Amino acid sequence: MAEVHVIGQIMGATGFSESSLFCKWGVHTGAAWKLLSGVREGQTQVDTPQVGDMAYWSHPIDLHFATKGLQGWPRLHLQVWSQDSFGRCQLAGYGFCHVPSSPGTHQLDCPTWRPLGSWREQLARAFVGGGPQLLHGDAIYSGADRYRLHTAAGGIVRLELGLLLRHFDRYGVE
Amino acid sequence: MVSENPHLGDQQEPMQEDSDTRPLSITSRRGPRSLPPIPSASRTGFAEFSMRERMREKLQAARSKAESTLLQEIPTPRPRRLQSPNKRELETEFGTEVRKAGEEVQRTQQDDFQSYSRVKFRDSVQKIKPKLPVPPGFPSAEEAYNFFTFNFDPEPEESQEKPKAKTRAGTNQEEEEGEEEEPPAQGERRTDEEELLSAKDEEDFLLGLDHAAEDFIAVRPAEYESVHVRLQMERELLFVPSRVTVPTYKKLPENVQPRFLEDEGLYIGARPEVPRTCQNTMENRLLTQEPGRKWFGDDGRILALPNPTKAFPSRPPVLTQAQDIKAELETLYKKAVKYVHRSQHMIGSGDPPGNFQLDIDISGLIFTHHPCFSREHVLAAKLAQLYDQYLARQQRNKAKFLTDKLQALRNAVQTGMNPAKPHKSLDTTQKAINEYKSEIRQTRKLRDTEQEKDRTLLKTIIKVWKEMKSLREFQRFTNTPLKLVLRKEKVDREADEAAYEAEIQAEISELLEEHREEYEQKMEAYRAAYQQWKAWKKAQRAKKKKKKQEHPVEEHPDEGLEEPYPGEEPVKPVPPEPTDQALVEQQVRERAARSRRRPGEPTLVPELSLAGSITPNEQCPRVEVLRREDVKRRSIYIKVIFNDKEVSRTDSRPLGADFRVHFGQIFNLQIFNWPESLTLQVYETVGHTGTTLLAEVFLPIPETTVVTGRAPIEEVEFSSNQHVTLDHEGVGSGVPFSFEADGSNQLILMTSGKVSNSVAWAIGENGIPLIPPLSQQNIGFRSALKRADAISSIGTSGLTDLKKLAKWAAESKLDPNDPNNAPLMQLISVATSGESYVPDFFRLEQLQQEFNFVSDEELNRSKRFRLLCLRSQEVPEFRNYKQIPAYDREILEKVFQDYEKRLRDRNIIETKDHIDTHRAIVAKYLQQVRESVINRFLIAKHHFLLSDLVVEEEVPNISILGLSLFKLAEQKRPLRPRRKGRKKVTAQNLSDGDIKVLVNIIRAYDIPVRKPTASKFQQPSRSSRTFSEKRAASPTTHSPTHSVDYPLGQVLVRPFVEVSFQRTICHTTTAEGPNPSWNEELELPFRAPNGDYSTTSLQSVKDDVFINIFDEVLYDVLEDDRERGSGIHTRIERHWLGSVKIPFSTIYFQAKIDGTFKIDIPPVLLGYSKERSLIIERGFDSVRSLSEGSYITLFITIEPQLVPGESVREKFDSQEDEKLLQATEKFQTECALKFPHRQCLTTVTDISGKTVFVTRYLKPLNPPQELLDACPNSPQATAELVARYVSLIPFLPDTVSFASICDLWSTSDQFLDLLAGDEEEHAVLLCNYFLSLGKKAWLMMGSAIPEGPTAYVLTREQSHYLIWNPCTGHFYGQFDTFCPLKSVGCLIGPDNIWFNIQRYDSPLRINFDVTKPKLWKSFFSRSLPYPGLSSVQPEELIYQRTDKAAAAELQDRIEKILKEKIMDWRPRHLTRWNRYCTSALRHFLPVLERSRGEDVEDDHRAELLKQLGDYRFSGFPLHMPYSELKPLIEAVYSTGVHNIDVPNVEFALAVYIHPYPKNVLSVWIYVASLIRNR
Repeated sequence: MAEVHVIGQIMGATGFSESSLFCKWGVHTGAAWKLLSGVREGQTQVDTPQVGDMAYWSHPIDLHFATKGLQGWPRLHLQVWSQDSFGRCQLAGYGFCHVPSSPGTHQLDCPTWRPLGSWREQLARAFVGGGPQLLHGDAIYSGADRYRLHTAAGGIVRLELGLLLRHFDRYGVE
Repeated sequence: MVSENPHLGDQQEPMQEDSDTRPLSITSRRGPRSLPPIPSASRTGFAEFSMRERMREKLQAARSKAESTLLQEIPTPRPRRLQSPNKRELETEFGTEVRKAGEEVQRTQQDDFQSYSRVKFRDSVQKIKPKLPVPPGFPSAEEAYNFFTFNFDPEPEESQEKPKAKTRAGTNQEEEEGEEEEPPAQGERRTDEEELLSAKDEEDFLLGLDHAAEDFIAVRPAEYESVHVRLQMERELLFVPSRVTVPTYKKLPENVQPRFLEDEGLYIGARPEVPRTCQNTMENRLLTQEPGRKWFGDDGRILALPNPTKAFPSRPPVLTQAQDIKAELETLYKKAVKYVHRSQHMIGSGDPPGNFQLDIDISGLIFTHHPCFSREHVLAAKLAQLYDQYLARQQRNKAKFLTDKLQALRNAVQTGMNPAKPHKSLDTTQKAINEYKSEIRQTRKLRDTEQEKDRTLLKTIIKVWKEMKSLREFQRFTNTPLKLVLRKEKVDREADEAAYEAEIQAEISELLEEHREEYEQKMEAYRAAYQQWKAWKKAQRAKKKKKKQEHPVEEHPDEGLEEPYPGEEPVKPVPPEPTDQALVEQQVRERAARSRRRPGEPTLVPELSLAGSITPNEQCPRVEVLRREDVKRRSIYIKVIFNDKEVSRTDSRPLGADFRVHFGQIFNLQIFNWPESLTLQVYETVGHTGTTLLAEVFLPIPETTVVTGRAPIEEVEFSSNQHVTLDHEGVGSGVPFSFEADGSNQLILMTSGKVSNSVAWAIGENGIPLIPPLSQQNIGFRSALKRADAISSIGTSGLTDLKKLAKWAAESKLDPNDPNNAPLMQLISVATSGESYVPDFFRLEQLQQEFNFVSDEELNRSKRFRLLCLRSQEVPEFRNYKQIPAYDREILEKVFQDYEKRLRDRNIIETKDHIDTHRAIVAKYLQQVRESVINRFLIAKHHFLLSDLVVEEEVPNISILGLSLFKLAEQKRPLRPRRKGRKKVTAQNLSDGDIKVLVNIIRAYDIPVRKPTASKFQQPSRSSRTFSEKRAASPTTHSPTHSVDYPLGQVLVRPFVEVSFQRTICHTTTAEGPNPSWNEELELPFRAPNGDYSTTSLQSVKDDVFINIFDEVLYDVLEDDRERGSGIHTRIERHWLGSVKIPFSTIYFQAKIDGTFKIDIPPVLLGYSKERSLIIERGFDSVRSLSEGSYITLFITIEPQLVPGESVREKFDSQEDEKLLQATEKFQTECALKFPHRQCLTTVTDISGKTVFVTRYLKPLNPPQELLDACPNSPQATAELVARYVSLIPFLPDTVSFASICDLWSTSDQFLDLLAGDEEEHAVLLCNYFLSLGKKAWLMMGSAIPEGPTAYVLTREQSHYLIWNPCTGHFYGQFDTFCPLKSVGCLIGPDNIWFNIQRYDSPLRINFDVTKPKLWKSFFSRSLPYPGLSSVQPEELIYQRTDKAAAAELQDRIEKILKEKIMDWRPRHLTRWNRYCTSALRHFLPVLERSRGEDVEDDHRAELLKQLGDYRFSGFPLHMPYSELKPLIEAVYSTGVHNIDVPNVEFALAVYIHPYPKNVLSVWIYVASLIRNR
């Protein structure tokens, strides 16, 4: 019956080689969690930074969970996409991070990566855009033999999350 | 160096320790060792050095002090001394401390230490020098000492050296010093210290004089150490193991021979490959560093594990990685594509790809019968069929299987009879044997029938073949290549006979046994019965005796007692007959002979071949040739029908002589949804004439597991009921024919055949089957046929549920002996035996439960959470719940009550409100459509434009500025106020009470006036006409008379207006006369449902604004005439005259409604008449008097002005031609450019959300026959009737049903099925009816009041045009000023669209001649001719007759409900119902319906008066289309009949429902109040 409020924002992303970026995000929780209000997933606008390389989205996240257990603490999945001058979108990075478990404001940096693909695909990506994407999104957080996947590092997504916990002490969780 | 003198190692270590610890200890040790102090000390470590420095400083300090004290008069030496301390202070901090202590140090020591520091310089030089001459093997004692002392302290030394080097190289002075120092150092190496000191002192003294200014700045030379020096030092510091091979004996313990395990035959893995030199180095190091030999193995080599390194790089190159990648890590190269808006939230949701594919492979067609079959063909087909059957049976070989089974069972019985295991309880064995026996019996029976079938089949085959042969002989030609060969297989006669006999014997014995058992049972039964009978007999006898003896008198009662059991008197049982063995044998043998091959008889194996030859045409008779010709002319093709739509067809292929057609075509159907039906239609073409549909073949939709490549070719049989008679040899179809010459034994064969096809789901590029998600599947689709297959019957998920599986197995009676079922049976036996624990549930996270804080129930019980969830789900009740309490206890249970009640009532309401089932179904369907449409729009809503998100105030340009400036100069005209534009308010930040509906009631015309109450004293027939619309033009003869009944009534009528909205009522003051002028503004508060003021919610507000006009009547209630002089007692009564109803949604979208509306006045208004004469007399607006009805001028608006929701900009997919769509866009933009405010409509959205060209909706459609029959000879009357029928279909605006603004056009049949629609649907239907009536009719798009943009119908009569309002059924002439249609945008005909390009758009001022291109711009013109678009409307409308009984029932229920409601509305008064009046009204309503509310005045009135003469009566009939109960109730409420609270008032209410075809119901409600006249 404990409650968790996650209030914050996806500040933006930095360190990507692409310029016009947007982000799709989603929050996944375990079976013990129940979303009381708020939206679990969303997408930011496309931001083309004029100054500096940080793309600012300031996309709000406001979730209210009720939980009956600690398993499956909410985690955030991020997909950073870039939009080219033709308005086409391509993947710039997958990211994953846990929502912090201590109350208060947290600054999170979520590093991202993207699959590299074969040299052909890399070449194609460089010239015509697009790029390899994971067929199964689970690989972003599952423990598959990931060494088989050749990836390239993307930039970092910056998040600012505030957490409010309620009634955890009632169940002996400090 | 170690290698040079390794024996020194032992001495080395203690020295190291010492040098580490205390520098002082060295100095102390130096003494006893008596080594020359000069060279040794200079090479000590940093600590030592700094200490030395310290000492020197101390000495200097002490000296300077001594000097200062001793030689105070001589100041010169001080600066000399100051230089060096300053320099040194940088190097150490100890200086100050030491300085204090330094005073105690003695002079001699001072000198001694100083000399050490001097030596340092010398020493460094010295060290390089002796190195060269001294050979490596013989280090000098000094060097040895140096080595030991410096070995492990290298870094400080270096840092120390640098400053020294700097001092040496930096300044001249220092260099001089160094230079000067060096030669003496070399020379004086062995000289006395004293000398050195004095020389140094002198130099220092001299130098110090010059550099007093540089006391604070130390200029240092760059520190440098020559490479040699460094190398030298490194060599001293570092240990470099030698590379020389270490002899084995060193590595092994003493006196141990190396042991080579490999030679002994033990396996030793490959050692890692290490270069020999590296190994040697390692070994050397190990030996010197750790003297133990634990690193070495028995063979004297370093211990090593087998080589762990792989021969090849472990990271495979990128190119080869593709094949073994894991499924979840697969990546797919996706092209950079434009964003598709539908798949927005990609994370988690995983939208289906959308396109699915069904592959239909039609390989061929075989006719099993065809009209062109000759007799031979018929036989051949039969033969082939039989042969197929035979083959199939042969393959299954059931007889053999059953025989084997029988054998096995017999064996089992044998073994059971002679139990080998005596310990087994006899009981169970017996039981098992009994079971076996019964099974044997069954199996035998089965086997017998199978064998018999086999045999008869064989016989039939032979018979047919014989027939065929005889036929061929008879007709002297052959048509088919079929040939049957019977192959005989010899059998061993002896063995066969023996087996046969044994079988028969076994059977006989079994049978006998069975019979015996049976006999025994019967005997048993017989005995029991016999005993019983005997006993009974005895008892009977005894009784009789008793009776006779004891109660001879009471015979009768006893008999009475006995008599109840006459039936129980047992019949004497007959003993059963024992069976006759001979008879049994006889039977068995007979059966065997019948069904089995005789022993020794050869086995016959038929073989069918196509080896025969066909007689060529020339040798055939003419009829046969004709037949063959006919066959050749025929060709076949197959259409593929998907969801009742033709999607493709095969090529037309000629019919072969063997009646086989090969297609071999594969069709790939790209589909979106789960298919509903899949049909193949077989068409036959004869020659060049038309094609006929032979048959339809329904194909099953494949299981999701069936994918292309795995689907087997299946043969689906079809047959047709077509009758064909041919004039040639062909036997025809559906006609009797016979093989016999005499025509007996007739056969009728129908065309039939088999289509071999396969249907499968296609596989996508990445190997994923393109199957629509199962959720789309119809659940009810699963047929009972699937019971045979476990997976399809219980679903794949069921396989994991063992209990379900076992249950299924039990139900389907699996054969446990079938090897196919073996794994299943095993599984089931495990599951059912209870050996393994099968939990009832499947849990993903097993440990979850343990760690849970609370149970699920508790979580769900939390009221707070529930409230939060409901709020976030936007459940209407909670959507606007602002703050939710933090604790459960603060939430009241009653918060949920309404919601739960609604949930509970949802179903109940449906059955109650929609009394007839049809409407309930329709409501459900509408709900579904609404949901799907809403979903579509939710998606579309995400499609934002920049202007939706970014608000940018327009920068005023010069013209706007100029205009506003000009406005300032405008003349002010306060007497002519203008409406100012108000600021629009977005709906989000509003709350209850913020919004008001303003109703400005200006004036009314032609209000009906009172008529003197027709008392029984007056002649009813003479009373004036009641108000009647149609006759209004006729002059009224009546002149008003003021009756005594209205003592206060000075005027004809005292009307006031009451506006009710959401049960809030406001009314104006009372005006007088039939043309009152109020000019009053009424303010009504608006409450949004559930306090939700969002646009979507406001759009769906269904409330209406009722504007009722009442007449205020004053009655004198003074009972006593004596009081008349002193007081007035009057009672105010109000009588409803009529109403105007304006839906809120109209106001919302129009923002303001301004105009004159026709008042909806009931057809009969008792006590009132339309007073026309007066008006004419006054000459007041003679134009108006021409019109019929009463009018009211209104202005309605909402304060503050709300922004209506924007229509959805969504490009729907369309099936229209691309060119046409482009043309429509062009047309629309052109029109919009010229007349931006005129409605131009070319494409509309149909109910499935597709864009459809609008003319497709117009097509002549038949109105119900009933209506046409009503007035056969009056087209105008028919038209009116039809219009009335259309208007009776309830009106439901799209905006209400489909929360967002979008016009969905349903076709007329959909409209009639739904029984709800808005203007467009009504107009389309009416227009279609008119077209079918032969009128020239157009759909007219324009705007009207109060609807706003709407659709009307325009018809052309002989000379004039009529404008029809489809929603009310009224029609207006073109020049009718009261026509609600105010502007015309475009006309739509069945084949064209005309846009109004005239200057005016008012129907009064425009010309409706669409042939004039200057006035009407047509869509299809010469440049773009009409392509002949097919209609979306059905061919014909089918009208079901409405169930009269249901209507009657509905009528009763409505009446009951309304009565209850009226009583509810009068909670403080008693409501009496006047039954007499009610029944009178009930009789009257059908009359009204028949006359459509016209011409029913006097009779009715007279009748009423006759019956209710002593009542004062006020009432009126209401007429409405029926959709739901609520509007009816609302309408009755709005009339305010219930408001009368005269004590003795009585009410009457009657309901009549007139059913029209297609469930269109016309509802009449007559409400009246009666007051008894005193």
